[in-house]
Amino acid sequence: MGLVSSLVRLVLSPQFFGPIVFPGLVTVLAVLLSIIWVERKIAARVQMRVGPLYILRPLGGAIQMLADGLRFFFQEFIVPETVDRVPFLLAPVVAMSFAMLPFAFVPLAPNFKPYTVPYSMPAFLGLNTVIPLTVLAMAWGSNNKFSIQGGIREAYMTIAYEAVLFISAYSMALLYHTLDFAEMVEAQKVPGILLNPISALVFFIAMIMSAGKLPFDIVEGEQEIVAGPFTEYSGIAFGLTMGIGYVQLYGFTLAFTLMYLSGWEPLVAPLYSIYPALGGILLFVKAYLLLVFIVFLRAVYGRYRLDQALRIGWRTLFPLAIVSVFLSIALGVIGVV
Amino acid sequence: MSSSVMEARLLEKEGDEEVYEVFIGPQHPASGHMRLIVRLEGDVIVGVDPDIGWVHRTMEKLAESKEALKAIPLLERMTIIDSQNVTIGYVRALEKLLGVEPPPRARYLRTLLSEINRIASHLYGMGLAGIFVNHSTMFMWCFGDREVWIQLAEELTGARLTHSYSVPGGVRRDLPQGFKEKALKAIRYMEKRLDEYHRIFFDNPQVRARYEGVGVLKPHEARRLGVVGPNLRASGVRYDARLLGDYGVYDELEFEIPVREEGDAMSRLLLRGDEIRQSMNIIRQVLDKIPEGPILAEKYLRLIPPKLREPALKEGRIKFPGIFANLKLPKGEAVARAEMGHGEIFYHVTSDGSKKPYRVRVVTPSFRNVILFRYLPPGHRFMDLPAIYGSLDYFPPEADR
Repeated sequence: MGLVSSLVRLVLSPQFFGPIVFPGLVTVLAVLLSIIWVERKIAARVQMRVGPLYILRPLGGAIQMLADGLRFFFQEFIVPETVDRVPFLLAPVVAMSFAMLPFAFVPLAPNFKPYTVPYSMPAFLGLNTVIPLTVLAMAWGSNNKFSIQGGIREAYMTIAYEAVLFISAYSMALLYHTLDFAEMVEAQKVPGILLNPISALVFFIAMIMSAGKLPFDIVEGEQEIVAGPFTEYSGIAFGLTMGIGYVQLYGFTLAFTLMYLSGWEPLVAPLYSIYPALGGILLFVKAYLLLVFIVFLRAVYGRYRLDQALRIGWRTLFPLAIVSVFLSIALGVIGVV
Repeated sequence: MSSSVMEARLLEKEGDEEVYEVFIGPQHPASGHMRLIVRLEGDVIVGVDPDIGWVHRTMEKLAESKEALKAIPLLERMTIIDSQNVTIGYVRALEKLLGVEPPPRARYLRTLLSEINRIASHLYGMGLAGIFVNHSTMFMWCFGDREVWIQLAEELTGARLTHSYSVPGGVRRDLPQGFKEKALKAIRYMEKRLDEYHRIFFDNPQVRARYEGVGVLKPHEARRLGVVGPNLRASGVRYDARLLGDYGVYDELEFEIPVREEGDAMSRLLLRGDEIRQSMNIIRQVLDKIPEGPILAEKYLRLIPPKLREPALKEGRIKFPGIFANLKLPKGEAVARAEMGHGEIFYHVTSDGSKKPYRVRVVTPSFRNVILFRYLPPGHRFMDLPAIYGSLDYFPPEADR
């Protein structure tokens, strides 16, 4: 009996529940399975098609991604002779791990933080910056011309969006006088997107760039470089590389909700009183809707050219991010927050 | 190509070791049935060698090995998406050799199917132009709307793609009942859709950024390279084989040949949209003006046994007598041109007096346009290559024959 209750206590402790159950691993898998289906269904709707249908027909093929995932698992994972085996095999695993780690810094409700540090926002963003490096490792390890082209594109894109992402996030930190997500939510009497819309816009575009979704899926550029850095991957490793972008995007939408959409507020008190983490349900719903909007963009846009994306990053977003910093300072001086 | 005008476009120097060579195709998501050997310096293309011939099917030789009529279903396999326009030139060349002219109603029907096919072919090209910049909605919309025109063609001919509709002396089938209403409905639908294409694709800032000012082909270069079809007209050169009045009833109809001056990838795409509007205009006029009468020349109607002739004329479906496949081609030569969706196709048929043509020479529009792969991309970014490819509406099986 003592063992069971201590296990339950372990599972329900913020340190475990956050990263592993919600919003971490288990929820990530559920989001991954559902959002790709949603993406394909929305695109199909716009394009006068049906989309996934045959697997679990009553629900319109809702578990299509489960079938695809199983196929990835049982498909042969081919390791070409010419690859550099260590980075080739290690990089997708490291990438997925680092895509999952930031969830340890996402607070779900008042006083429910998986990992209590006063710097959860920079920690969250910092962990995400490891992923481009693993993509470079994949590109280099694959020893393939298309992969290396993709790797170079990733490197260019990274320096274009990363600074912008950080500056716009820090402008919100300046506004709220804190580097902690939970305190940011508490500081938002008015949602941050209304206080500093420039910062919100810049962060939004930069996070799409970071996750490599349309119109910025330049790294994977299927029409020129097959699958970019992921060209040589097959089986479950390809499944991982495909999932990284979505996991990253899901994490960023959570961060966006915390910083600009007042997080879990208004708090659902009955659920919160049952178990504090359930108070984060509104945070999840907001983030998921944002995710749905981003995957909907696939049906509207094509892909920008590399130099155009870089121009957007450096010539438009970068100055806007700086402006957002000054806007935050001005708002702070006036004393809005 | 001795012209210095064109050579100025080629950036690649012999023995340059800085270049990075990428083989795109023949197994590549966007290569089609061909291979492009691309040489890059950094992200900038310095040379492209189109390596063609992967789907060469000896069309010309096969056409020489069978009776003249039987080559029609063969040759339409070159461009299966545009099978009326690809064979009409051959049929015209045979008619010139045989000394037979189609009756007016047959000429109208040929024009009708030619334009239906042209719309379907342009939609195919526009859809591919969409997916080349990963715009999947344009791709799906165009291919979905193409179905409308394919079904219209099926209604008329009995086959979705391989119509084999035109034969020497006329056409195989008459207009089915209620065709006019269906065609007008399709035109109304397409007009609405073209506006929607503009909203989602042509006026989309992302698409404009990718296609505007990319792959500019100047008029004198287009003439020099012998480019044909919409790619030529988008560069400001007004040339269209339909203007020659050699086939169909184009000289009796009022329509415009759309021309654009910019010569970039965007104008090539927009021109296809303009041509779809003109084709619908032609279809409308054809349906209004089409005269009554036989659909096969009198000379060949007489070959049909009298018992079968009456029902054939009544039903408007001609079942050919065996003797029709064994027509002897008089000794001589004939040439014919026709305007396909991709551009002008040219046939040269030589006969030595037997049932089979002695020689069938085909020059297809895609074969004439493939040279653009060499001259347009140098100086552009690597990511412009799919945009240029998409704007050219290149069809490898047609070029390789």
